[in-house]
Amino acid sequence: MLYKCLLLLLAIIQISGAEHETSVLPEAYVDAAQRSTHTNNWAVLVDASRFWFNYRHVANVLSIYRSVKRLGIPDSQIILMIADDMACNARNPRPGQVYNNANQHINVYGDDVEVDYRGYEVTVENFVRLLTGRTQNGTARSKKLLSDAGSNVLIYLTGHGGDGFLKFQDSEEITSQELADGIQQMWEKKRYNELFFMVDTCQAASLYEKFTSPNVLAVASSLVGEDSLSHHVDPSIGVYMIDRYTYYALEFLEKVQPFSKRTIGEFLQVCPKRVCISTVGVRKDLYRRDPHKVPITDFFGAIRPTRVSTDRINVTLANEEDFVNEVAHVQPKKQFKIIIEPQFTAKILK
Amino acid sequence: MSIYCCCFLMTTPLALTLLLLTPLTQSHQFQYQTDEQFHEELVVRPLAGDHVNTYFQFTTRWHYGSQSNLYHTQLTPRVIAEILQTYDVKELHIGLTQGLWRYESWGYPIVEATGGAELWAWFSSPNLTNSSVNKQWMRLANVFSGILCASLNFVDNTNSIAPKHIFRPQFMESGNQSQQFVRYATLPREIVCTENLTPWKKLLPCGSASGLATLLNSGYVHNTKYHSLGVKVRTLCDSDDSNNCIVELTQTANLVYDLKLLEQSNTDFSLRRLFGMGLNGYCELATSSKIYVQRNEQGERFQLSPQPQQELISTVGGYSVLYGVYDIQQQFEGPGARLFNIAWVGPKGNSKREQTSAPPLYAHRYLLGNGQKHGRIATEVINSHYEPLPVVLMELVPWYVHAYLHTLRICSKPQHLHEYTTSELKFNLLHYAPGKQRELPTHLEVGFMLPARSSALITIEVDYLLLKWLEYPPDANHGHYIGSAVISSQLPIGRNYTAMPPEGHLFKDSFNASRATYTLTLRTEALIVSLPTPDFSMPYNVICLACTVVALAFGPIHSVATKLIIVERQTTIPRNLLRKIVHKLSNRFSRRSAPAVAAADQQQSKQDGKDKGIPSLLEQQLDQAESKKPRDKQANM
Repeated sequence: MLYKCLLLLLAIIQISGAEHETSVLPEAYVDAAQRSTHTNNWAVLVDASRFWFNYRHVANVLSIYRSVKRLGIPDSQIILMIADDMACNARNPRPGQVYNNANQHINVYGDDVEVDYRGYEVTVENFVRLLTGRTQNGTARSKKLLSDAGSNVLIYLTGHGGDGFLKFQDSEEITSQELADGIQQMWEKKRYNELFFMVDTCQAASLYEKFTSPNVLAVASSLVGEDSLSHHVDPSIGVYMIDRYTYYALEFLEKVQPFSKRTIGEFLQVCPKRVCISTVGVRKDLYRRDPHKVPITDFFGAIRPTRVSTDRINVTLANEEDFVNEVAHVQPKKQFKIIIEPQFTAKILK
Repeated sequence: MSIYCCCFLMTTPLALTLLLLTPLTQSHQFQYQTDEQFHEELVVRPLAGDHVNTYFQFTTRWHYGSQSNLYHTQLTPRVIAEILQTYDVKELHIGLTQGLWRYESWGYPIVEATGGAELWAWFSSPNLTNSSVNKQWMRLANVFSGILCASLNFVDNTNSIAPKHIFRPQFMESGNQSQQFVRYATLPREIVCTENLTPWKKLLPCGSASGLATLLNSGYVHNTKYHSLGVKVRTLCDSDDSNNCIVELTQTANLVYDLKLLEQSNTDFSLRRLFGMGLNGYCELATSSKIYVQRNEQGERFQLSPQPQQELISTVGGYSVLYGVYDIQQQFEGPGARLFNIAWVGPKGNSKREQTSAPPLYAHRYLLGNGQKHGRIATEVINSHYEPLPVVLMELVPWYVHAYLHTLRICSKPQHLHEYTTSELKFNLLHYAPGKQRELPTHLEVGFMLPARSSALITIEVDYLLLKWLEYPPDANHGHYIGSAVISSQLPIGRNYTAMPPEGHLFKDSFNASRATYTLTLRTEALIVSLPTPDFSMPYNVICLACTVVALAFGPIHSVATKLIIVERQTTIPRNLLRKIVHKLSNRFSRRSAPAVAAADQQQSKQDGKDKGIPSLLEQQLDQAESKKPRDKQANM
């Protein structure tokens, strides 16, 4: 008995000693650990609800799309899923435009938009396939999440949700367990470096509860048992324009420039309860860095660390004359007469 | 020494690519005149009823040498060239359209399209089989779903057919004729919006940066009555030399503006009004960049400002059209003011408008019958020409609508009659591929001669299937679509006919292109059928109702079934004196508090009453005061 107690005491001393050691790690090491190691950025933005009265959800997802695109993530690395067409909807008095505000401040749809999954394509199956990289054979490249172990991935979901699920198209649901499994599979397949999970829906915090994968930072517009509320209605279209959380998130993101020093920590406090009415939920326990030291562009932009070398580098430029000569020696192709067969079937004339 | 820098200029890669591209763009100027050419054209045609048709055509034509060189494209998008080789595609048509072309008032469009998405392709290669073509067809649709941001990946065997007579190849193969396969599919539900226009513009050599494509702004394209984006690719090979081929990519945008919707009182309009901005030049990579303005018919009413540099008359099949031509390259290169805007000034106070004569052949389609079980698809083809016309009609009926061939009828009537007579037209041509539930659509092609100045009504009876629960889309009550029918004919005259001859590639090529006959293709309206749709909340309602009923029924039944009913005998008055008094008192209180008591008690109280006589008011009050006491005690306890 005494012997056992002695052993335990020794162990405790050892552990406390180890703890002491980590706390005096060199600052440079801590800084390096805090600095992101990602090499590319991806964004998966999902609006899961259909029908005109869910205009606000489309405005939500387009707000985030607008921001990530403005901050530098190219369209080829943004997977945008929109379950219904609001911009060209017959009910929209301003065709080709979706606004975040009744005063039409920002056309979040813009003039240059690429929707990768739309309408009936927005299903739970397609979403899970996209995350886990198990898309069907022959899927177009723009519909694949081709991220790798160096990718910082932003996942944004909006729609109608409940405790532990998010409805897709009013006909099916994704559960929080399915989401957690999908993200775990992404981690196992080395499909992300860090993942920022954002969700704007009722009882949104329930969706990240089951996560166990490392390097995931999650933020939700409302806690379990709370509703997420919409911001305001536009009488000219008769529906709510945008949800509160995303409205204030966009307001914040609009002020972010590619080189600004804004951090994710600031972004997490973007919608206090006084304006959001719901409580914004944050899950940091899976994330190893301090959000207040993470630039917001680590997830919303395509800025990555670059090594600047002062060493001399020899670059052999292609000889321009080669091009010119090549062009000059192109033989003109032989012209030929174009004969197309009759375009109307002759059989009927018989 | 190396330094870590946290930031990376986004503009740096852009600048780098620009630097890299500079020698290449210089070399273009040598090469595009021989091998690869790009042309941009815009046609503006005022239509009847204050409508304006604007038609953009961007043609990239690449006369390439050997096949192995196909990956090194300059003006042609590489993806197009790559697809042609990978999937053995010789010809490909894709149309993304919103709205309906009104043949009766607008005449024929330059390029035909149907609402939603439509695509067809010709495959040809020595080792192709039907099943391998099916696979390649689906992959091709998948690739274009990514390129054009449309849900073309829904194209599969359940909605694709192999048209037999209606489409003829518009490509040329060299030498050995290998078997040719064609596949056709429509997705009538497909919407067309900015997300389709953006990638479509990105296929152009100048993108939306310069040239006529800058006029295509999403806000001004989608407020039109009809807008249609088209992509057409084909290969033309020298019949003697397989290494002497042309890849031709034609991108078209066909728009119809309603001037009344442009918020203006008069009928004047200008490019700036229509597109929200003026011309900003031409695409530097373009060989030609021209605007054609129709001056006769509806165009006669308008004065142009500035005047076109050149006017030309095109006579096609006995009908002449006058075009004003603006060469933008000259306008911007030459001295003097740059062309920024073209204005059409209409006559003041002229309310009379010339009605266009109806085109020789047009068609409508509708559904007959009522209920959600059976129906009839009716297609009406009207020939207003003075000669009989050959007509081929193709129907693609989706699998959830079951068509019966034996009910196919073609009735006809002279144009002036209202009712269709029972006389039937006989068909010269019939191709029918029956549909199969959940696997194949019904494919019907029928050809007949339509007599002069008469119309034909083609009807076929259909059954609507009841789908499985999970086969209904999320918005099942919207209805299910049946794509439009395709009608092909051969016109002897060129009235209202503006389509380009198949051997030409520029709009210019349609000028004075008189032929013996003109092949015409029409699309009818698409149909919406409301299949029997269950109330999806029904299971929930049934569960709730059934549970309530069961719960309500369960309580009494359970108690009846489990409880033993014992009839308690009337108790006699206790013998003990003290108990007697308590009993009497309690009886009296219970009578006061609860009027409905057991009959036995009542009898007893009656007896009591007889004994004591009617209690006075004072007694009653006393009783009430007493009766409160035990209640207070209860409350205290």
